[in-house]
Amino acid sequence: MRNEVRLVVNGQPETVSGVAPHTTVLNWLRARGLTGTKEGCAEGDCGACTVMVGTPKVEGGFEWTASCSCILVVPQLDGRALTTVEGLRDASGHHPAQVLMAEGGGTQCGYCTPGFVMALANLSRRPERDDETILDAISGNLCRCTGYRPILEAARALPHVPTPEIEAGEAAQLLAQTKDGLTYTAGGVRFIAPNTIDEAVEAHAEHPEAWILAGGTDLGLRITKRHEVPPALLWLGRIAELKTLSETKTGLSIGAGVTYEDAVPAFNRLHPELGDLVRRIGGAQIRSVGTMGGNLGNASPIGDSMPALIALSAEIEIAGPRGKRRRVAAADFITGYRKTVLEPDELIFAIHIPKPHPEAQFRAYKVARRIDQDISAVCGAFRLRIEGGVVVDAVSGWGGVAARPVSGEAWAAVLLGKPWTFANVEAAKAALLASDVSPITDFRGAAEYRRTVCAGLAQRFWHETAGDVPVASLEAV
Amino acid sequence: MNAPTAIGNRHQGGAGDPVRHDSAYGHVDGEAIYIDDMPTPRGCLHAHLVLGRWARAKLTKIDIEKARGMPGVRAIALAKDIKGLNDVSPSIPGEPLLPTDYVEYVGHPIAVVAADTEEQARRAAAAVIVEAEPVHAVLNVREALEKQQWVLPPMLMQRGDDPQPIIEKAPHRFKGEIDVGGQDHFYLEGQVALAIPHEHDMEVWSSTQHPSEVQAMVARILNLPHSAVNTLVRRMGGGFGGKESQATQIACFAALIASMTGCACKLRLDRDDDMTVTGKRHPFLVQWDVGTDDEGRILAVDAVIAANAGWSTDLTPGVLSRALSHFDNAYFFPHVRIRGYGCKTNLQSFTAFRGFGGPQGMIGGEMMMEQIARSLGKDTLAVRRANFYGTGRDLTPYHQKVQHFRLPEMVDKTLESSNYAARRKAIDAFNATSPVIKKGLAMSFLKFGISFNKIDLNQAGALVLVYEDGSILLNHGGTEMGQGLFTKVAQVVSEVFAVDFEKVRLSPTSTAKIPNTSPTAASAGADLNGMAAKVAADAIKERLTEFAAHHFDCNQADVKFENNHVIAGNHKVTFAELVHHAKLARVKLSESGFYRTPDIHYDPKTMRGMPFYYYAHGVAATEVAIDTLTGEMKVLRTDILHDCGAPLNPAIDKGQIEGGFIQGMGWLTIEELVWNAEGRLMTHAPSTYKIPSARDLPRDFRVELLAGAPNEVASIYRSKAVGEPPLMLAISVYLAVLDAIAAAGGGGVPWLDVPTTPERILNSIAALKAANGKNA
Repeated sequence: MRNEVRLVVNGQPETVSGVAPHTTVLNWLRARGLTGTKEGCAEGDCGACTVMVGTPKVEGGFEWTASCSCILVVPQLDGRALTTVEGLRDASGHHPAQVLMAEGGGTQCGYCTPGFVMALANLSRRPERDDETILDAISGNLCRCTGYRPILEAARALPHVPTPEIEAGEAAQLLAQTKDGLTYTAGGVRFIAPNTIDEAVEAHAEHPEAWILAGGTDLGLRITKRHEVPPALLWLGRIAELKTLSETKTGLSIGAGVTYEDAVPAFNRLHPELGDLVRRIGGAQIRSVGTMGGNLGNASPIGDSMPALIALSAEIEIAGPRGKRRRVAAADFITGYRKTVLEPDELIFAIHIPKPHPEAQFRAYKVARRIDQDISAVCGAFRLRIEGGVVVDAVSGWGGVAARPVSGEAWAAVLLGKPWTFANVEAAKAALLASDVSPITDFRGAAEYRRTVCAGLAQRFWHETAGDVPVASLEAV
Repeated sequence: MNAPTAIGNRHQGGAGDPVRHDSAYGHVDGEAIYIDDMPTPRGCLHAHLVLGRWARAKLTKIDIEKARGMPGVRAIALAKDIKGLNDVSPSIPGEPLLPTDYVEYVGHPIAVVAADTEEQARRAAAAVIVEAEPVHAVLNVREALEKQQWVLPPMLMQRGDDPQPIIEKAPHRFKGEIDVGGQDHFYLEGQVALAIPHEHDMEVWSSTQHPSEVQAMVARILNLPHSAVNTLVRRMGGGFGGKESQATQIACFAALIASMTGCACKLRLDRDDDMTVTGKRHPFLVQWDVGTDDEGRILAVDAVIAANAGWSTDLTPGVLSRALSHFDNAYFFPHVRIRGYGCKTNLQSFTAFRGFGGPQGMIGGEMMMEQIARSLGKDTLAVRRANFYGTGRDLTPYHQKVQHFRLPEMVDKTLESSNYAARRKAIDAFNATSPVIKKGLAMSFLKFGISFNKIDLNQAGALVLVYEDGSILLNHGGTEMGQGLFTKVAQVVSEVFAVDFEKVRLSPTSTAKIPNTSPTAASAGADLNGMAAKVAADAIKERLTEFAAHHFDCNQADVKFENNHVIAGNHKVTFAELVHHAKLARVKLSESGFYRTPDIHYDPKTMRGMPFYYYAHGVAATEVAIDTLTGEMKVLRTDILHDCGAPLNPAIDKGQIEGGFIQGMGWLTIEELVWNAEGRLMTHAPSTYKIPSARDLPRDFRVELLAGAPNEVASIYRSKAVGEPPLMLAISVYLAVLDAIAAAGGGGVPWLDVPTTPERILNSIAALKAANGKNA
């Protein structure tokens, strides 16, 4: 097994050993003098530390993403290419993203600037883009000085920057150099990177103390915020089976290791409302790294994918020892505050989402104080089908309303078999508040406010399906 | 001194040109160095703070034995290790650098641990054992107000007769109040300092807006003369007031360790510690009692403005004073009394933040106008205009005469450019048929006084050095925090010598070069330092002119500096050539410049005088939509017309306007400081404290600078200060939200505290509906 991390930094192949595996990429870069990448928050919420990460594609070359270096750990870059703000300039001069930001007043204090520049440089690899794409690309970057207008203008003026040809060779070489598995130890901490799910389950049984690391967008905070030292890290990033995505006529199956960014197009095809909801999880730099499996395994009461998965009657497939697999309904997967049905020797394998009935209505609403990169006060998702004038199918999923995401069972019970009328919706709303939700008060909102919002979302779902008001949401203004 | 007129073959980047920020390319390629990016000196130590866990408690034990023995630990500093005076207050004494008896807020630094690495220092800091006996803590302004717990004597600003009898007899009387929240600066670069001990003196690199105060306080705690401390700062990654007084303690901690160990020491706060430890914008409570005539014209006002000062006095005297002097905003109060209270609470020490109390006072006054107009069933804009300052109605509550008042004309222009009247009708029509989504439209005005209201701070120094190759090095006392001050001051020098902007290099701000500097604050950076640099450059230019006339044998009147050249009679040489000859002829090519703002005077005891050299003005019209089911809000359109006089740099000024507006919008809408019942700040990182992101921009955002409007007073090239004022244009967002709530709640006066979170918006609608139900 290989005890060194192999990667490419700003075009130069490098080998890393002796660096503790929980060292963040940001700290590693800055310690070696690449100080252009800044720390603004060390929690993936401001984007000042954004770098470009290139993952070799099977068909050749790299798939580039913008990611937060503050919560990536160094061995996660094994077999990948890294470009920092220092590496954007080439013989011909500054990158267009740099020129446009500098000339257009896109910088004031300059501290967030390298992060924006990297997000824009990553965006410039895409041939086509509109304002929505631009806003998505910088959704994880905060600027406190400019008010964003000049940055948006720089992004709009950005030309398409084709991938340099040299990258094909770099990628092929990296793939070859990192084919053999990685078990990296430094500073007394072991980084285990199995190649298959069965190996992972086995390694998990052998090292029950190891932290399970998928994208690390939440786990990383234990290192950067709680300053914990992991006893060992079990990284799922090398497991190809976890990155599969299959769309059939009946639904969508996605591996637990698929990132939000990679899942969104498939979600959009399943239902645009699902894509729109997942597009609001974290910023772009989080979505490029964070995984669907991680979102579920994290078992947060406010992890935003769960309400929608509940409302779509998704199932979670779990891998156990000796190739054992079992499936659990999404609504039953999270059992309490940060608790799941997972046994100590199990890992999340995949998520299966059945395609909604063609006649079904589906909506997912996230209420937070900011559109991008914020955590819900309340998240509600609804599925409804009316046949012969009565409700034959009604499911709702809720986040931020209890210690765990919940299914609105009382709400559904009132509606099933009855006509879809405002009076029945009101009755269902009352049942929802009486039986399904029991929110607490915290800094994201008082319990009473959350209850009001639950009722409001149930009402919005009515308006949007009944079409009784001209404008039922801010998006529609 | 008039604005320069463009000539055919003009030098590049003089006054009035939209030059890009001098560090723009360094920003985008990572070569611009911030303090944490500097290579550290050999043996540099890293410090970490031990923080108090109590809102208020008497210290009973600090045990550092275990921590001292941990790997890499080199020093642990406690209050007893301070050889000089343990007080770093920028105003009234009483702010120990490290506490000796009481800790006064959750996050109060108690000890400084220094080790070979940041990680070692952090772990050792966690091992310092601190015990304390909690005592009653005051966590909100109302309790402090009731208990008369002040950090400074109450203030009284008064003009005209006792307002109470007039209010009592007035045709209409209104009482109201608003709670205004604080705001974290959220500069992207957290507080940081690097102290490097030398033979007999201390070099301190500090991310500070106030190098001289860092110098003075480091000298004070180390018992050194000021001359033995050199504070340097090249740039900050944002300041916004948060590094005016708050950077001082960070620099002092680093210098204390450096002095104790003889090793360099760096202290950089991570985001959570930064937000937990350091001060923020003051929360305020503003209350009023006002009498008006039938038209809503104010007859007399009696107001109380209470600042939540936090645990120490800090800059509260100035902040409170500015809140009092901006409650009037654009409106004349015939008889007025404003009482000001700086309330002591056991929270972070609230401090300077863009606007310096002005925004909080102003929004109180604007809510009062809103209450008057809506209670009388009148158009809010019409009532505001009826109360504008004007001829014979031109004395402020602090007895300064309002001159050159530009708002009436600016309002007319904005009404037209924003198509206000037609949109008002369209919005009313929309609201009539839309039960779920309601829109609101409002215009807000801004009159902001320019100058420090502490008169002695209105001074600045600069040092201009011309080298024999014609290159110029510029030093001044201002600091660069992103606002473009260095660019603007360099433009002034470029303008004086008529050489390209690129020829002027900027030196880091250093107290060894410019002594006794004022903080870069109060929007006055370019006004003061630009003028000081001009004084210095003019003196050198005068000598060069004299020399050129002599050298080329012509009259001084025939010497012209033009487009990087000097024309003397029939001779034309490059600026560099002339300088070279001048050097050989032993002409002095360096000069220090000094400037103090003329005409201003103010008596802080009576709160009377002329504290402001001039006023900056602005108008904003904003349209919003709110969701009555969830309280969510979206800004649909904002039109801004802002008064920069003859701008020194219209591109940079536009950046200040846009950035200030968005920052103000964040303060008023989504940025919320939440403390729990124990006084612990719960929103201490961007995961929980939300500043605006790019999607929060008004969907349609139009910003114009008032054209052809040079400053009437002799400011630097007739420009106007622009750092703080635009923040208050965001009050238009608040007023538009009120307008939408009024539509949702069925009319009447909506009450809404700041920030206007979705939760507050829903509650406000519910309260208005309930009030209307009661009245019906």
